[in-house]
Amino acid sequence: MKSPKAKVENLGLSPGTRGFGAALALASVVNGLLVVAKETSPRIQAGMKQITGHHWITHSTLIVALFLLAGWYWSRANGGTGIRLTPRQLLVTLIAGVSLGGLIILGFYLRGD
Amino acid sequence: MSEVILMTHVLFGVACLLTTVWVFVDVLNASPANQRRIRRLSVLAAGFMWLAFVVAGYWYAVDYQADKAIILKGPWPFAHNFFMETKEHLVIMLLLLVTYLPIAAASNLAANRDARRVVLTVAALIIGLALLMEGDGAMIAMGVKVGLLAR
Repeated sequence: MKSPKAKVENLGLSPGTRGFGAALALASVVNGLLVVAKETSPRIQAGMKQITGHHWITHSTLIVALFLLAGWYWSRANGGTGIRLTPRQLLVTLIAGVSLGGLIILGFYLRGD
Repeated sequence: MSEVILMTHVLFGVACLLTTVWVFVDVLNASPANQRRIRRLSVLAAGFMWLAFVVAGYWYAVDYQADKAIILKGPWPFAHNFFMETKEHLVIMLLLLVTYLPIAAASNLAANRDARRVVLTVAALIIGLALLMEGDGAMIAMGVKVGLLAR
């Protein structure tokens, strides 16, 4: 039987923490993939430039919007209880997403330079 | 004016970094007494980062072309081709991380170990990425300098 302290220490994570954490991982990877897409396709880059006047402004806006929308959706998933992720799964998803997104960007420009 | 804008973005970036370090240390010692401060500091860090991002974005979209031309004609073209290109895209991830910090810090950190771990991880990622951004910025500035010296 767990001690009262252990019970207090095991409250789980809020739907917002889980939902926006997963959204952060997703948006980080999409951020990296969008870099590769726009840098390898002049058509995509021109299209992004056309939307706001600068490809980077469009890029930033899309990624922030994806983070907010996915976070909002996953926070309210499963009847308002949020996306089902254990604390460990959330941490692994978060670290993996941010690392992968970063490595895609660094790898792409390291290869291109 | 361009230089003022540029240094303002550095100022807000450093403020975000220092505030996040404060959050990290406070969360290591989380208790009911410092919970409100942790939440306020997390919001402050996000505010600093958004200011840095908007100011830098304006400078990048409006003023950077002249510096870019100097860098690309100089002996350090990689200051743009690698360091600026990676910085302008990695910083979006930094913005998301700092935006997420107050969301994660809204939990009861004094009682919830898992929530503390999430905040500590996010704060550590912010600190690492922010230091990388500072280093990238230094390389870009050096690229302009050696480009001007080579003229």
